Amino acid sequence: MQGNSVRVWDLPLRLFHWLLVAMFALAWWSNGHAQHLDLHIFAGYTILALLLFRLAWGFTGTHHARFRSFAYGKRTLLAYLRDLRSARQPHYLGHNPAGAWAIFTMLTLLLAIAVSGLIVLGGEEGHGPLAGFVSLESGIAWHESHAWLAWAMLLLVVVHLAGVVVESLLHRDNLLAAMISGNKRVRDAQPQVGNRRVVAGVMAVAWLGAALATVLPWYRADADHPYQPFPGTTLPDNATWRSECGGCHQPYHPQLLPKRSWQLMLKQQEDHFGEALGLDEATIAELLQFHETNAADHPLMEAAWYINHSLRRDETPLRITETPYWRKTHAAIPEERWRDPQVNGRGNCAACHSDAERNTFSDAAMRLPRPNR
Amino acid sequence: MQHRKMMKMIPLLALLAVPLAHADTVDDLLKGYQAQGAGPFSAEKGKAMWSEQHASTEGGAARSCAACHGENLTSTGKHAKTGKAIEPMAPSANPQRFTDAAKVEKWFKRNCTWTVGRECTPQEKGDFLSYLRKQ
Repeated sequence: MQGNSVRVWDLPLRLFHWLLVAMFALAWWSNGHAQHLDLHIFAGYTILALLLFRLAWGFTGTHHARFRSFAYGKRTLLAYLRDLRSARQPHYLGHNPAGAWAIFTMLTLLLAIAVSGLIVLGGEEGHGPLAGFVSLESGIAWHESHAWLAWAMLLLVVVHLAGVVVESLLHRDNLLAAMISGNKRVRDAQPQVGNRRVVAGVMAVAWLGAALATVLPWYRADADHPYQPFPGTTLPDNATWRSECGGCHQPYHPQLLPKRSWQLMLKQQEDHFGEALGLDEATIAELLQFHETNAADHPLMEAAWYINHSLRRDETPLRITETPYWRKTHAAIPEERWRDPQVNGRGNCAACHSDAERNTFSDAAMRLPRPNR
Repeated sequence: MQHRKMMKMIPLLALLAVPLAHADTVDDLLKGYQAQGAGPFSAEKGKAMWSEQHASTEGGAARSCAACHGENLTSTGKHAKTGKAIEPMAPSANPQRFTDAAKVEKWFKRNCTWTVGRECTPQEKGDFLSYLRKQ
């Protein structure tokens, strides 16, 4: 196409677009890796910040960035889709009506994803602005909505990409190049928008600062000072539990098994996994009381909720490693890793869970040690 | 005023008492075993029993005190089953050892049962303590 090249998308808008792409990809990838929860949260906060920026930029940005410039009605959208292949089609320098509808839908969906993410973070992990306002149960319930919304967003991304391809081919208008350079070729003279470099600079510096603050602590951490970006809640403690149970193994918190398991275990104290504990009545009574009050039946953390809900009512496991939830979450770990001297068996939670001493088993506190070679 | 000064002295006195505490506790325990008809006690016998291997009734590796606590009493041991670190047995390396009679009896009961397959006799306990206290 002959003609002049004019700037259509200002720099902050392009930065918004590509940071959003990168952060959505990072959020998607880190979702499958619980130990990268901090990256997932970082991506989520960035997306929320980008959305707030976009909302403001929709009123204060340059011409084609303003919502008013692409707020097309339903009729315009239908006419655009009907006349897609005809010559009558007017050329849209900014967003075309179909693109505009996709954008408003994606912005709304992303906002819903970000907010539902904050609800999950507050409920399940006890962090973020909604911590304390959302119950553990609500957090877990919202987790699923958060995931479905993300899938819907992925579907829209596909639709958006298809639209970009169609528009680029049909109207010989390279939309991808335009979103990178900011420029489009036009036949007749058109006013071009400013670049707003300062705003883009502030955005870039703010994002880089946040990225560094997220990543740097990992490099300062070592084996003795593990970095825990999202430490879990502080669970109820008991000195007798610590000294008696902690005498032979790490003290597993009552939260990790239901009440009926602890009752059976303490009743069978003369055959505690092959060992006679020989605890006196007063000690047993105190341990029983502590375990009954704080068992998984009343979950105070995510892992406890899942352990309890994975069990049938008639199941009374005596080992945490026998619970379906434990088996499911550890199924991918090959047998030889358990025999690795660094790991030292399934009972040594601390080999991978840096918060094992606190018994919180937060997603973000999980680290697989490097295999010994 | 006088009272307050004395209160301040208590932590200081407690500090002085720690190195002696295990000696007192062990002496009391030994007296108790003697009252049950045991004695005289032999540190040599205690040492021999420490490394004695006992075939496990459930199969698996032979059991001994050293299997978990190690042969070197001044260093940290390791629980044979759970891998948990066990503080040194020697009072010279771990002044908290043998300062609580109830704790000593609890662990004798539990660990003799697991290792030997029965509770230890007052004579055996006396021999063990005579050996361990000097480490």
